[in-house]
Amino acid sequence: MRPADDIRRLFKNAELRIHPDGDEWVFEDVLKARQIVTGNLPATPDSAWRTIMRSPLTKLAAAALVVIACLIGLSLWRTTGSGIALADVLARMEQVKAYRFQLNTKVTGEDPNKPYSSEIRATWLRSQEYGSKSIWERLDPNGGESTFVEAYFLPQKKTAISITHKEKKYSRIEYDDRFAEQWPQTDPRTFLKEIVACKYESMGRSTVDGIEVEGFQTTDPNWLGNRKIKVEVDVKMWVDAKTRLPVRYDFTTAYFDQMGDKIIRRQHIVMHDFQWDVVVDAAEFEPPVIPDDYTGTVVKYPAHITEETAIQGLKILVELLGKYPENINDDAPTVLRLAEKSETPAAMLLKEEIKGLTEDEIGNKLVDFLMPIRGLGRFYGLLQYDKKGPAYYGKTVTPKDMDKVLMRWKVSDNEYRVIYGDLHAETVTLGKLAELEKLLPK
Amino acid sequence: MIEDKLLIFRFKQGRNGALRQIYDKYKVELLKLSVVLTGDVNTAEDIVHDVFVSFAQSAERISLTGSLKNYLVTSVINRIRNYRRDNNRHCETGLEGAEVFSSPERGPYQWAVLSEQLTLLSHALRELPYEQREVVSLRMEMDMTFHRIATLQNTSTNTVKGRYRYAMARLRSLLNGEVEHETRR
Repeated sequence: MRPADDIRRLFKNAELRIHPDGDEWVFEDVLKARQIVTGNLPATPDSAWRTIMRSPLTKLAAAALVVIACLIGLSLWRTTGSGIALADVLARMEQVKAYRFQLNTKVTGEDPNKPYSSEIRATWLRSQEYGSKSIWERLDPNGGESTFVEAYFLPQKKTAISITHKEKKYSRIEYDDRFAEQWPQTDPRTFLKEIVACKYESMGRSTVDGIEVEGFQTTDPNWLGNRKIKVEVDVKMWVDAKTRLPVRYDFTTAYFDQMGDKIIRRQHIVMHDFQWDVVVDAAEFEPPVIPDDYTGTVVKYPAHITEETAIQGLKILVELLGKYPENINDDAPTVLRLAEKSETPAAMLLKEEIKGLTEDEIGNKLVDFLMPIRGLGRFYGLLQYDKKGPAYYGKTVTPKDMDKVLMRWKVSDNEYRVIYGDLHAETVTLGKLAELEKLLPK
Repeated sequence: MIEDKLLIFRFKQGRNGALRQIYDKYKVELLKLSVVLTGDVNTAEDIVHDVFVSFAQSAERISLTGSLKNYLVTSVINRIRNYRRDNNRHCETGLEGAEVFSSPERGPYQWAVLSEQLTLLSHALRELPYEQREVVSLRMEMDMTFHRIATLQNTSTNTVKGRYRYAMARLRSLLNGEVEHETRR
C-alpha cells in the first residue's frame, strides 16, 4: 500500500450528509439571487438561510417545529355531522391554564443515495401564566446515547434558556417585549387553527386511548403554507367528545423533489398524552442553576424596541465602522467581523478590549455593547413582521447625507416615517417620499 | 466535462433547472472541502452558501471554456482565504461563533451533517498550518495535481510537494489510531 493511501481512504470515507431542510433554504437563497439578477424579483437584503439558520431564535428552538401557518379561513364555526365545532374546541383550549403533552417526530430521507433519519421525542409543559418548559431527546440514529436539551421559554421574564447537559453548554436570551409573539412554539392551538384554515372533514366517532373521540382530517397541501415544491399532507386530529379538547394529533407530510416526480423526504409528527388543566407551580418553570463548568452565551435585546432604539444602533455602527453597514439585519458576529476591518477609534478600542479572548468570552463580554445593534436589527425585523414596507439604503447613504433617506417605513396609508443620513427623523407623505427616493444614488 | 458544459450553457440561458443540477452536483464536495479547510461547519456552510449565491448572480460572466468544478473550488478557496484574512488581521481568536448556540445538532435547519470521521479529520487538519491544510485537502479531497495546487497557491511545485510531505507526516501522527483503523478495514 502506498504511504498516502490510508490517509486518502480516511478522506474519502469521511462522509458529509445534506440535511434536507437546510438544503431547501440554501437553494431558495441561490434561486432568489438568480431571480434578482434576471429582474424577476426585487432586491432585498433578506436571506432565508441567514434568517433561519443563523438566528438565535432558531438556534434556541433547536428541535422545535416551525410550521408555516396557512391563512385563517371562515370555516371556524362549521359543525360536523357529529356535532363538534372546531371553534368550540379552540375556545375550550383557550380556557385551559396549563397542559402537558408528548411529541414524537421522525424525519426520513427517501433518496437511496442520501439516506437520512432523525427522531426526536419531547415532553412539554405549557402554562398561560408561566410560559413553557420542554425536554427534547434527539435519538442517535446509530443506537448510541441520546442527546437531551432542556429548554425554558419564560415570557414574564422575557427570557429563554436552553441547556444541553451532555455538552455542558447553555444559552440565555433576554429579549424585548414583542419577541414572545414571534417565538416558534409547538402550540396545539396553532395547529388547530391551521387545520380549520384548510379544507377539512370529520372522520366520525371512534375510540382513542379508551376515550370516545371525533376525528378530523385534512389533506390540503396549504396546511404547510404556500410552498414552491410539491407536498402531500395527511393531518388528523382527534377530539374528546365530552371535554371538547384534543386527544391526539397525527401529521404525515411528504416532500417531493423540484420536479415533483418523487418523494425525497417524509415527516411524521404525533402529539399525544395530553393532560389538560393540570395544576402547575411556578417552581416548575424555574430553570436549574447552571453548573460552574458549563459554558455558554448570553444574548440581550433592548426591553422596548422603538425608533430611538434603531437610531442608537445606527449611531454605534457609524462610530464603529465609519459608515452605515450595507445590511441592516446583519447578526452580531457579522458586525464584529466588519469592525475588525475598521480603523475608527471606536473599532480600535473594541479590538483592544477583546484581544486574546475566546469566542464565548467575546460574546459575553460584549453583551451590553451589542444590545443597541441587536435592537436595530429587531426594529427592522419588526417592521417587516408588521408589514410596514421598510427599506434601508445604507449601501449608498452616508452620515453626512442630511437630505437622503437612510431608512423608511409606513406609518399610515399615505404617510411614511423617514430616518435621514444624519439620523434626524420626520414623517412625510407618500408623494414626498417618492421624490426623496428619486434622489438616492443608484 | 461535457455534462458541465451543457449545464453552464443551460444556466446561461436562464434555466433554473440547470442551476439546481449544478447545485446538487457540487454542494457536497464543496461543503466537505470547506469543512476540512475551515475546521468549522458553520463557517463552511456560510462560505459554500455564498459561493453558490455569487455563482447564481454571475451567469453572464462565466465562460463556457473553463472547468465548472475548478471554478467553484477556486471560489471556495478564495472565500476561505478572504475570510481568514479578515478574521486574523486584528485578533488571534476569530469572532465567528461569538453568538454560537449550544444545540445537539445545531438546530433543525442545519445544512451539513458531518460524520464522526469527518469531524475528527477536520479537527486534525486544524492543527496544520493553513497552506499545508490546503495542499493536503486539495490533493486528497479534490484529486488535484501538485502543479494545479502550485498555481492556486502561487508558488512552485516543489514548495507544494514539501508542504504535502510535512502535512502528511503531521496528519499521520495526529490521526495515528484512526489511520490504523482505516488500514485494517
